[in-house]
Amino acid sequence: MGTMGLALPWKTRITSALREPAALGRWETRVGPSEHLTSGPAQAGAEPASEDAALAAACRAGDLRAYERLYMLHGARMKNLARNVLGRTVDAEDAVQETFLKVQRSIASFRGQSSFVTWTYRILINTCYDARRSRLRKKEVTTDDDAEETPRMEPRAPGAHPSLRMALERALERLTRHQRDVFLLYEVEGFRHAEIAGMLEISEAASKNTLFQAKKNLRGMLEPPRSRAGELR
Amino acid sequence: MKVTCKDRERIFEDGTAAEWAALEAHAAACATCAEEIRAWNSLSVAAKALRDDSPSPELWSRIERALIEQDARKARRTEVKRWFSFFPNVSLGWQTALAAAFVLILTASVTWIIRERPYHPGKQDPLLKSAALKEVESAEGAYEKAIDKLAAEAKPQLDTPATPLLASYHEKLLVLDSAIADLRAQAGLNPSNAQLRYQLLAMYQEKQRTLEEVLEAGK
Repeated sequence: MGTMGLALPWKTRITSALREPAALGRWETRVGPSEHLTSGPAQAGAEPASEDAALAAACRAGDLRAYERLYMLHGARMKNLARNVLGRTVDAEDAVQETFLKVQRSIASFRGQSSFVTWTYRILINTCYDARRSRLRKKEVTTDDDAEETPRMEPRAPGAHPSLRMALERALERLTRHQRDVFLLYEVEGFRHAEIAGMLEISEAASKNTLFQAKKNLRGMLEPPRSRAGELR
Repeated sequence: MKVTCKDRERIFEDGTAAEWAALEAHAAACATCAEEIRAWNSLSVAAKALRDDSPSPELWSRIERALIEQDARKARRTEVKRWFSFFPNVSLGWQTALAAAFVLILTASVTWIIRERPYHPGKQDPLLKSAALKEVESAEGAYEKAIDKLAAEAKPQLDTPATPLLASYHEKLLVLDSAIADLRAQAGLNPSNAQLRYQLLAMYQEKQRTLEEVLEAGK
């Protein structure tokens, strides 16, 4: 007892920092075992199929209001996801803008094999990694000393607990790309495994397994050494 | 449903709601599992720290402007494509194939024409014999006759040169006549060669000047 705890006393430190933006209704709370006892993971990214199809059709027709609606529904979450991948708000905003432009350019090729929103997030994730690669190339041109690309996280809004967040951010950077993506999409952004599978073009089972591995690795990184020794028994 | 500590990780990975409930019930009597569940779920709680709801008030207007600009660029490109499209109902792939076929046919035709054109040395393409060429030949003939008259006038002085100067003129005229004969032979083979015509004219002019000098010297 006590030996399996994480390095940070989560329960005591995060309660005040993690107020959901309830007024905005953007994210749903999906924390603790109780979620598994009720209805499983919240369907934060789920939209009625008809609305998704209507949104896609309106975007295909070039209706700017449809793009605005897409932004209103997902802009904040898109920016947050991009920020967690890229590290800086300004880069995240650029990635979101580029994603909207790519959606506009490619909407004619959208065949509805996945949901429109899922397709949009897939574009966003690819855009973020393109930006990361591009930044890495630029970095390599300027200096050969630091070839490892690690996004420098800039300070966030005052609400988030700094030490907790920074520890987690550092640990996330040590995960594989897929593990990081799945963790961010599931645990931070609240998507379901089915949606994540569509975004990352993997199976739902692979998404579940990747999340499991990601959380196991994160625990290993965040736990104090003494508790790791205890776990080996 | 009864679960044990061994089931814990499997439930963490892909447990149903019923299995989670059973695991929690088991954890009530198992301190290890209780701590594992708490630590596992604390990661989910901690993940919420990565949410940042700070607003970006200018972002939508920026995106909107970019979308409008991109749309305008696309419209301009479509307009240009429409203007340059010779086959508006044919796909781009077919248009490319047709263009390639056209270039191939053109190249083959030109190659065939060059290879198959009959070559007759000394005989020019009749198309090159224009009315202008006939006019030049006619003027040349008249000019030649006029110079012949001049030569006939100077002939007595040249046949019996009274001075060394006239003897030199005589020799010069013999050289000029020889050169004129050569050039006329070449022009006969290649009547449309303007360069030969210019050289012939220059020789005639030189002969004319020489004859005038001979006549002047004889006065």
